[in-house]
Amino acid sequence: MSQTTAVPAGTDPRPRVVVRGDDAVVAGVRCTECGHPVAFVRPRCPACRGPVEPAEFGPAGTAWSSTVVRIPVPGREPPYALAYLDLDDGPRVLAHLPGDRAVPVGTRLRLTAPDEAGDLTAEEA
Amino acid sequence: MDVAVHGVGTSHFGRQPDRPLIDLAWDAVREALADAGTDQVDAVYVGTVFGAPGVAQRVLSALGITGIPILTLENACASGTTALVEGHEAVRTGRYGRVLALGLEQMSTTFGGAIHPESSDAEGLAGLALPALYAMAAHRYLQTGAATAEQLATVSVKNHAHALHNPRAQYSGSYTVEQVLGSRMIADPLTLLQCCPTSDGAAAAVLAPATGGAREIPVRGLAIRSGDLWDHRSPHVWGYDLVAATAALAYEAAGIAPGDVDLFEVHDAFTIGEVATTEALGIVGHGDGGKAAESGRTAVGGASPVNPSGGLLSRGHPLGATGLAQVAEVVWQLRGDAGGRQVDGARIGLVETMGGGVSGIDGNACVVAVLGA
Ligand SMILES: [Zn+2]
Repeated sequence: MSQTTAVPAGTDPRPRVVVRGDDAVVAGVRCTECGHPVAFVRPRCPACRGPVEPAEFGPAGTAWSSTVVRIPVPGREPPYALAYLDLDDGPRVLAHLPGDRAVPVGTRLRLTAPDEAGDLTAEEA
Repeated sequence: MDVAVHGVGTSHFGRQPDRPLIDLAWDAVREALADAGTDQVDAVYVGTVFGAPGVAQRVLSALGITGIPILTLENACASGTTALVEGHEAVRTGRYGRVLALGLEQMSTTFGGAIHPESSDAEGLAGLALPALYAMAAHRYLQTGAATAEQLATVSVKNHAHALHNPRAQYSGSYTVEQVLGSRMIADPLTLLQCCPTSDGAAAAVLAPATGGAREIPVRGLAIRSGDLWDHRSPHVWGYDLVAATAALAYEAAGIAPGDVDLFEVHDAFTIGEVATTEALGIVGHGDGGKAAESGRTAVGGASPVNPSGGLLSRGHPLGATGLAQVAEVVWQLRGDAGGRQVDGARIGLVETMGGGVSGIDGNACVVAVLGA
């Protein structure tokens, strides 16, 4: 899959992924007051407005839902599979899955290194 | 002061790339003003999403509507009803004596197919087209036993059948559940006939103080809200809690309960949207939305008719125009002017419009309006 939408450097709105060996994790923040996990680097907690500190989430999680996009989307080649993935003790993130089938709700997934399009990716654990 | 809808109008809805937006707007504005028996308004509130900068003044000046306040409001698919809310508030507080709320959108010249996901948004850039967001809600419903694929398809069958009696609708037809499920897959499990089309259109309403006139339709209660965070803690599918929270405010403002409403025009951009919304509006309990469609309860002739116009699925969905087209349908229904799709004896109608596109929240905006006496 290729992704051609131009994104100026430093403005990519997607979660930042750190790869360590076989593990890929999302580098976000966690609220030091309410514990709310956020997949992005935000200046304060969006849930309680409390202070946040850097935190990493993943690689393991559970599929909340999933689908396969079969229509043209600019810069992308259909079909492609997606899932909302609830990372263990972490936030819900949108991830691309390999292949062209939706996974059942509750499927255990594991983040993998981002694809060349820069998307979060996951596969069945 | 009490406010009423004095006139409504719409263009034809459909793929109309050869018709200038000015012509579409004129169809809606001319009809609404004539219906209200006036050619004078003190301000115009315009809802549009993909309209070019200045589109409101560009269109209205061509219709001779100049020299008054004109405000453009963007609230995703709820832009038209956001214009209704603001126009209503301006009349209610006495700021203006009579206002026009106008919704506009020409989609066919902007997009070949589905709306392009917004690349400044985290999930938009990641390729989450709106059909995919609703598809994940549908997958969740099917997998948790909250609805069946056949029940979702029934919503499309019903709304396309309703639209057979709506000459302004983009599509209509007598489909079977099998035909709906057998149409081309868009985003699993949603098929083509379960998704609203790309549409061009305009719709308008004239609001002024209520005078008790026979053709006026009182605005009984209104609410607008943006979504709270939607994340791993959220108990329901995307948008559900926002619709429920907005509806609770509107029911309270109107002093009614869901059972008092005779007909509903709701945001069925996708079949799962109508199923979840019938639950979120309290028409039926959670998990009963699919059964309500299957049993005929939400069809014209059933106990709780939903989308007698054909809904977004059939009438079409020119984003900014949709909310005011829903208002027009309810006004026609409450006057008894809805022809072959008339809900007998309708006295109270409800409009629900829901807009999304910003990831991480439960919706950009939801409007719920209760009309009638
Ligand atoms: Zn917090």
